[in-house]
Amino acid sequence: MAKNYIHDDTFLGRWIAGELSKDELKAFEQSEAFKQFEIINRESQLLVGPNVDTEAALLIVKQKLQTSSKTSKVKQLWYSIAVAAVLIISLGLYLTSNKTYTTAIGEKQTITLADGSVINLNANSSLSHKRFFWLNNKTVKLTGEAYFKIKKKGPFVVNTSKGDINVLGTEFNVKDRTQFEIKCYEGKIRFTKLNNIDTTKVFTLTKGSQILLDHNTIKEQTFKEDTPDWKTGISKFTDQPLSIVLEELTYLYPITFNINTIDTKRLFSGSFTHNNLENALQTTLIPMGITYQKAKDSHVIILSK
Amino acid sequence: MLEKEPSVCEERNYNKLFRKFYEPATKYIYYKCGDFQQAEDIVQNVFIKLWKLCNTITYSKAKSYIYTACNNLFLNHVAHQKVKLKHQKTLTDNIDYESPDFIIEIDEFREKLKAAINTLSVKEREVFLLSRVEKKTYKEIAEITGLTVKAIERRMSIALRELRDILGKEIKV
Repeated sequence: MAKNYIHDDTFLGRWIAGELSKDELKAFEQSEAFKQFEIINRESQLLVGPNVDTEAALLIVKQKLQTSSKTSKVKQLWYSIAVAAVLIISLGLYLTSNKTYTTAIGEKQTITLADGSVINLNANSSLSHKRFFWLNNKTVKLTGEAYFKIKKKGPFVVNTSKGDINVLGTEFNVKDRTQFEIKCYEGKIRFTKLNNIDTTKVFTLTKGSQILLDHNTIKEQTFKEDTPDWKTGISKFTDQPLSIVLEELTYLYPITFNINTIDTKRLFSGSFTHNNLENALQTTLIPMGITYQKAKDSHVIILSK
Repeated sequence: MLEKEPSVCEERNYNKLFRKFYEPATKYIYYKCGDFQQAEDIVQNVFIKLWKLCNTITYSKAKSYIYTACNNLFLNHVAHQKVKLKHQKTLTDNIDYESPDFIIEIDEFREKLKAAINTLSVKEREVFLLSRVEKKTYKEIAEITGLTVKAIERRMSIALRELRDILGKEIKV
């Protein structure tokens, strides 16, 4: 009993933890070894371990972590896959993407394409083409109006809402607005009209010939000028309905018309300039006997007889 | 009680864990290996791992992860050096040692005690120091070391017996 600490392999451990029974403790305290154990225990509890600088260590760890990411390997893998996928898809989209040139109201732009062709884009128009590999398949898409000066280097196609124009080195003007009009100034072009009902129709234009699309029927005509008037900063009209004239004005100036009871089917012959709104309004409206005033919001032009 | 556990990935929580467990873990490893620089390296590496694996370790499991990882890393560094211990500066010297019982001076005894602790095997030394110096309960020591409380009691008993074998002759009864 007195030598419990020798025979019982957990006895001293339980004594330290204060888990000896009263009887066990009593017997132990009377043993000769007790005082020695007690002093060893007491003195041991006066010892201190090393000083640990937690904050310094935290800084060290943070610094080490800055050179590595905080995501797990699996997450990192998925993350890499996701990034790669996004890159591939974006690259694909980018390679097949279109380059688009757009002009605002009253703005004009000159575009030089990779094959040296030059395109003058009139106001309120846009032209787009494939960003890459365009030279293998020279196609551009037009909305609005533009003047084309095409270099003789393989086939060149202009898509419009009314049909495709095939070109082989030439100069021509395409107007694809309410009115559709192609004028050929140089060389030869072929227009293939889109037609959902009939078979497509093909028209060939040479220098000085033009086509007008009027209610889905093509009118073939001739013209005399060497260059489209819009390029010279003027819009010219010969017996055109007033509605067309007003429409053209809204492309070149940031305005809208309040037509009221004005008959816009009446025909107009004349021209207006592109660089002076007041001037343009006077030359188009006064000969037609129309008075106009600007509303408070000066973008609205109110017409009256 | 569906309160969501704090995420270890949140720096605030990570810092909390660091401030709570860095010191005790470092001391624990130091008591095992006796090389303070090595102990700090091991525990810092464990905390770096903890941050990298923060998605996979819940806040409540962090403590056991830290100690388990420390133990695993320690297995690769089995250098067993002497632990340097100090006596508290403010010693309550009014302890009644009944002077005649001591053959030698108390200071000398204390040096011998530290030396004797260093003669213990690592298994006993770490348990003894965690209990007597760090004042941890057997239950806490069991969590840290991965042993059972019974095993702690045994190691503690062995440690005390060995210390008495060495120091007993210094203490007259």
